[in-house]
Amino acid sequence: MTNAFRTVVDRRTLLKLGAAGFASAGLASLAGCSSAGAGGGSGPRTIKMLYFGQQSAATTLQKSLQPQIKKLDKTATLEVSAINGTDWNDFLAKVLTQIASGSAPDLVSVATEGLQLMASKELLIPLDSYVTKDMSSLQSYFDDIHPALIESMMYQGHLYELPDSFNAGSMFYSTDIVQKAGLSSPAAGWTMDDFHTYATKMGGLGGNVNAFDWVVRLWGSWTSFLYANDGNLLEEGKYSGGDWLWKKAYAKNPTAAAGRGGGWKWGTPTANSPAAVEALEYLIDLQRSKLSPSPDVGGGGTLQGLFSSGRIGMTIGGGFWAGGLHNAGMKNGSFDVQLFPTWKSNKSLFGAGGYGIFNSSKNKDLAWEVVKMMVRPESFDIMFPGNVTTPGRKSLMTAERYKTTGPEHWSVFYDQLNGSVPISAPPYYNALATSLNQRTTQAISSGNAKAALDGMQADFEKAAKAS
Amino acid sequence: MSVQTQTRETARVPVSRRVVRRVGARREARREGAFGYLMISLAVIFVAVFTFIPIIASLGLSLFSWDVITPPKFVGMANFERLGADGSVLQSFGVTLVLAIGIVLLQLCLGLGLAVLVNQRKKTWSKTFFRTTFYLPLLASTAAVSIFMGYLFDAKFGVFNYYLTSIGLPAIPWLTNPVGAMVTMILVTVWQQVGFTFVLFVAALTSVPKDVLEAAAIDGAGPARTLFRVKIPLISPTILFAAVVAMINAMQLFDQPFIMTKGGPGTATTTATILMYQAGFQNLQFGYASAIAIVLLLIILVITGIQFLAARKLVFYQ
Repeated sequence: MTNAFRTVVDRRTLLKLGAAGFASAGLASLAGCSSAGAGGGSGPRTIKMLYFGQQSAATTLQKSLQPQIKKLDKTATLEVSAINGTDWNDFLAKVLTQIASGSAPDLVSVATEGLQLMASKELLIPLDSYVTKDMSSLQSYFDDIHPALIESMMYQGHLYELPDSFNAGSMFYSTDIVQKAGLSSPAAGWTMDDFHTYATKMGGLGGNVNAFDWVVRLWGSWTSFLYANDGNLLEEGKYSGGDWLWKKAYAKNPTAAAGRGGGWKWGTPTANSPAAVEALEYLIDLQRSKLSPSPDVGGGGTLQGLFSSGRIGMTIGGGFWAGGLHNAGMKNGSFDVQLFPTWKSNKSLFGAGGYGIFNSSKNKDLAWEVVKMMVRPESFDIMFPGNVTTPGRKSLMTAERYKTTGPEHWSVFYDQLNGSVPISAPPYYNALATSLNQRTTQAISSGNAKAALDGMQADFEKAAKAS
Repeated sequence: MSVQTQTRETARVPVSRRVVRRVGARREARREGAFGYLMISLAVIFVAVFTFIPIIASLGLSLFSWDVITPPKFVGMANFERLGADGSVLQSFGVTLVLAIGIVLLQLCLGLGLAVLVNQRKKTWSKTFFRTTFYLPLLASTAAVSIFMGYLFDAKFGVFNYYLTSIGLPAIPWLTNPVGAMVTMILVTVWQQVGFTFVLFVAALTSVPKDVLEAAAIDGAGPARTLFRVKIPLISPTILFAAVVAMINAMQLFDQPFIMTKGGPGTATTTATILMYQAGFQNLQFGYASAIAIVLLLIILVITGIQFLAARKLVFYQ
C-alpha cells in the first residue's frame, strides 16, 4: 500500500506546482489588467455597453448596431452585456456591483431612477462639452425631443445623458370591461370623481374582475395619484444653470425652454404630507371596497398577465404597455389609454431613459459618437423593437407605429408629458425605493396610511442625511 | 514476527544501515504526507477561497464605510454601534429568529412523522416511492419554487384561496398580512426542506437495532411508547444533527421572502439576510451590511452552541 505512493508528487514538486499555480494566477490577473487598459491604445477598440434586459436581446442589439459602429470606426466593436432585473432598482444594484468588481463599461443606459445617483458619484461624465461642440449636428435631435426629457437628464446644471425614450403614467383600460360596465371611453380631462365612478361600475360586474390594479414602486404606483393630488414624495425644485443648453438648443423654441433649469432638485422629504396621506388612503379604500386587489411589489409581470386576461379594468401604464400587452396576446382595440385623471392638479409623472458615458471609459470620444448614433431616429426600433417603450423623439410617434399593437389613443403617451414631473429620484434613490416599497405594503396591510407614511418620512430623512 | 525476534534482528544490523533505514522511512512518511496534503488541497483551497477569506474580508469590511464607488473609509466599530441602535436591525433579527424556530420545529416534527410512517411500510417499492416524492422538492430551484408558490398563495387570484372560497371559507391574506406572510414563509420553506430531514430520519430509524425493538415489544411497549421511549432516544444524535443544519439554514432564509414578499408587508418578513442585501446592494452601505453579516454569524454560532449544550442532556449516544 505504501509503495503505491512512491511515484506521486513529493514536497518539492508540490511546492513547484503551488508556485506555478500562483504565477499563473498572477499572469492571468496581469493579462486581465492589460486587456482592460488596451482600450485606450491605438489598436482595436471595444465599446462596452450595459443593457437592461435579456442577454438574447442584448446579443441581437449588438449584432444590429455593429455595422453602424463600424461606420464610425472600422476598428471598433460594440459589446452589449445584459443585466436582468425586476425593475430599475434591481438593475442599478447590479450595475454598481459590476462597477465595484472593476469592470465598468463605457456606456450605460440609465433611466431617471439612477441618473442623479450616478452623476452625484461622478460615475458618469457631463456631456456639456460634447453637446456644445456638436450642437449643429444635434439640432434636429433637440428640435424633435420634449425639453422635459432633456431636463430630467440634467443634474446641477449639467447634462449627463441624451434621452431617447420615456414612459409617462397614463391610465390604461380594458375596452371590453368598459363596455360591459355600460360606460363609454373616458374623455380627456376626466377627473378623479370620474375615475371613481368608472371603478365603481366596473367593480359592480363582479366575478373575477377588479376595477383597478397597480404595482408598488416609484413609477406609476400610488405615486401617480399623489402627483395628481398636487403632491410629491420630496420637495420639488430645480438646480440653477443649464442656460448653456436651453439658449442654444431651444433658441428657435424659447417657449418650450421657458422655466427650465439645470435639472430637478429634490429637497426635503414630504412623504407624510396631507396630499400623500390622502392619495395612499384612496388606494387603500379602493382595496377595502374590493375595487382593487392587493398590489404586487416591483416588476409588473403579474399585473400585465391579469390585465391581458381580462381581470383588470384599469391600470397605470406608459407607452411600454402597448408592446407589452400586444406581446401578452391582447389585440389592438381590446385596450386603450387616456390621460391620467386630474385631481387637485393635472400633474403626472414620467421616467426617461437615455445613454451616459462612464467616467472610467478609455474611449470617451468614440463612446460619444455611439451615444449620438443611438439617439438617431433609425436607431430607436433597433434598440426597442415592438413598442416596449415610448419614443422620446416626437417624429417617431406616428399612427403607423401603433397600427399593429394599438392603442387607438396612442397620442396620449406624448401629451401626458405636458405638465408632468419626473419621478423623484434623488442621489439616494435606492434607499428611497426600498423604503417606499416597505412602507407602502405596511400601509396596505395595516390600513393605516398615516403611520406608514410617517415611517417613510423618517426613512427618507435618514437616507437624505446619510447621502 | 514477534517483538523479541525483531529486536534481535535489529541488534544484528549495523548502525550505519539503521540510520539509512530511518532516513528512508522519514522520506517515505514525508511523501505520504505530501500526497495527503495534495489530496485535501483542493477542498482546503475551496473552503479558504469561498468561506474563510470572505468571512475575514467581511470582518475587515465591517470596519469600513464603503459605497462601492468611492474608496473605503475606516470607521472602526461605528457600523456595529449603529447596528445596535438601529431598530430595523433588531426587528429583522427578531423576524429571522421567529421564522427559524417555526421552520425548525415544523420541519423536525413533520420529517420525523413522515419518516416513522414510511418506515412502517413493508413493501420496498412504496418506501422508495415516498422517499423520492418527499425528497424531490429539495432538488427544485428555490427561486422557481418561490415564484410558483407566490402565485399559489396570491390573496386574490391564488389557487389556495380559490378552493377556500369555493367551499365557503374566507380568503386568507397569505402574503399581504404580516402574520399570514410569516406563516406562508414557514410553510413554503418546510415544504421544500422537509425532504432532507425526512431522509435523515428514515436512515436513522432503519438503523435502530432490531433486538432493542424486540425487547421493547416483549416488555409490552406499544407503538407510541416504542417510538418515544426507544426509537427517538436512539436516533437523538440524528435529530440533533438535523436540528443544527435546519437552524443554520433557516437563520439564512433569503430566497423565499425576497421573491414572494420582498420582505413585506412592511418589514414583516424582512429577514437578516434581506436586510443585509438591502444595506449592501440597494443602499450601497457595504460596511454596514458586513457588520450585519458578522453579527448574524455570531448569532448562528451561539445558537448552534446552545443546541450542542442542550444535546448533552437530551441526546443519547450508544
